[in-house]
Amino acid sequence: MDLKFDRIASVLFLAVGVLFIIGSRQLTSSSYGSVVGPDIFPLVLGIALVLLSIRLFFETFQNKSNQEKKEKLEYKPFIIIFIATLLYILTLESIGYVITTFLFLFVCFQTMERSKWVNSLIISALFSGLVYFLFVEVLKGTLPGWPVWFS
Amino acid sequence: MGTLDYLLQGFGTALVWYNILFAFVGVLIGTAVGVLPGIGPMSGVALLIPVTASITGGLPPEQAATSAIILLAGVYYGAMYGGSTTSILLNTPGESSSVVTTLDGYQMAKKGRAGSALSIAAIGSFVAGIFTLIALIVMAKPLSNVALKFGPAEYFSLMLLGLGAVSGLAGKSVTKALIMTVSGLLLGTIGIDNVSGIARFTFDVPWLYQGIEFLTIAVGLFAVGEVFKTILEKEEEDGEIARINNMLPSKEEFKESAAPIARGSILGFFVGILPGAGATLASFFSYLLEKKVSKNPSKFGTGAIAGVAGPESANNAASGGAMIPLLTLGIPGSGTTAILMGALMMYNVQPGPLLFEDHPQVAWGLIASMFIGNLMLLILNLPLVKVFAKIIETPKKYLIPMIIAISIFGVYAVQVSTYDLLLLLACGVLGYFLSKNDYPIAPLVLGLVLGPMIENNLRRALTISNGDYTVFLSRPISLIFLIITLLWLVVPFLMKRRGKEVIINVEG
Repeated sequence: MDLKFDRIASVLFLAVGVLFIIGSRQLTSSSYGSVVGPDIFPLVLGIALVLLSIRLFFETFQNKSNQEKKEKLEYKPFIIIFIATLLYILTLESIGYVITTFLFLFVCFQTMERSKWVNSLIISALFSGLVYFLFVEVLKGTLPGWPVWFS
Repeated sequence: MGTLDYLLQGFGTALVWYNILFAFVGVLIGTAVGVLPGIGPMSGVALLIPVTASITGGLPPEQAATSAIILLAGVYYGAMYGGSTTSILLNTPGESSSVVTTLDGYQMAKKGRAGSALSIAAIGSFVAGIFTLIALIVMAKPLSNVALKFGPAEYFSLMLLGLGAVSGLAGKSVTKALIMTVSGLLLGTIGIDNVSGIARFTFDVPWLYQGIEFLTIAVGLFAVGEVFKTILEKEEEDGEIARINNMLPSKEEFKESAAPIARGSILGFFVGILPGAGATLASFFSYLLEKKVSKNPSKFGTGAIAGVAGPESANNAASGGAMIPLLTLGIPGSGTTAILMGALMMYNVQPGPLLFEDHPQVAWGLIASMFIGNLMLLILNLPLVKVFAKIIETPKKYLIPMIIAISIFGVYAVQVSTYDLLLLLACGVLGYFLSKNDYPIAPLVLGLVLGPMIENNLRRALTISNGDYTVFLSRPISLIFLIITLLWLVVPFLMKRRGKEVIINVEG
């Protein structure tokens, strides 16, 4: 257990709880035909979250004995894939599904393991083409297919 | 109409060609999900919701709901079958409910009895599956009749019980589990309040008006979170797949495993009904029980077939048992059933006591299809187990990016919004860090699904009682539920304090 993470998390949860309490105080406290307004439930939950995160904060001091074992994390591929995903999401609507998916998959395949780039190329092309064909042509769904400036 | 008529009608629904196909695809994917370590039943089901939603788009609403739930439930119980395969052959459990199977299953495989272990696991799962289905059919009507008498106060307390039970058993720290539950409930309040019509916590962002979509959160936290975990914690692949020689168990092995299968089925079923306790706990308890009952307990751990038969039956029975509170009461007792419930609600089908009256086609069609699905699984798992064992060799290189691509496609196909995709990505990162630090995710999803219903029942109960909060305590059934909730949260805490080890449910 990472105590530092728990401490930061407890403070964040506390903040979320406080925000929800403030937010629900600003809601109207009653609604027509109902004794209990829309503010009670989130208000109570917000208070509960504040109390729980305070308890979590103190719990982190209790069990100090836990030894942290360091494990090696593969940050590099993760960051590449994360950024690739982010770019994929942001460009999906303008460049279209087929091209973005193809590029995204190819980049990720090669990040996971740098080998057999022909296979990666074929599989990512097949995946993006097949999904688009099945969803749009067969199931009549809507996906941004091609770049906006294309059509 | 009697139960049998309904069941026959259900078979009529389940035997329509596309529903057979849906059941088949469901159990097939379920088995694959079970075999692949890293994708549990929860992320499998979550990932497939949008896919099924788009496939069933052309059908009339009720039929679409039936077909979708047939497929998704197939993934759920199919995963229970598949999990045993890698436990036995590779000593790596495909999902958490098969962890116990590795103890004796892998030993059996080492001794060249992998075939019998696999087929006993499949047969045990099948027997357990059929047993729970019959129990489900018998108990569904009476239970939903009882539940129909519940007022909003009872419902509120019952849902609290469900949440409390899941939080009490999920993860190492009850505090963290409760934090996740409350966060889920709070997320559920975002959007337009459906009693008063007031927008809450939306900050005038139109995207937030319809509320945070459960699907995005579930796919992000489970599926994308697990994918990120696999990327970050690259494991060295080792272990050799044990050879499968003889599929048919000997007569002696059959005899030895008959009683464990029966015990595992019954035990698993009752553990499964309990909210919070799932397949993982059931298989664990069953193993302990078999060890206690056995004449020579020392054999366990060295390849006792009872140690495979019992737990494997139990985890399947538990997954069937978990359907009972979901279908009859509308209370999901675990993460996976919460996701199934969310899927049903996407189709405007409200699980609960009225399900059997309002949507008999959905309820009985699902039950009937589970018979067919279990039969398919038995057939799939006996001769084709070698093929499934090959699935584990799927290179992660291709699998991981494809799961991300499917998540993004699925969420976009249903939500058609880039904001949801950004939320998906954020949930993936959050999901990884939260579960790595023992913050269980299942309670959050459960809270998100149950939140609006809890609030509605709370407000209805209070409106009826004119704002008198004691209504929850003065109605006996409601009081009982609340007391059980309290006990469920306090007892494990006290036991932990006294230094006892409390078994927790990792699957959620």
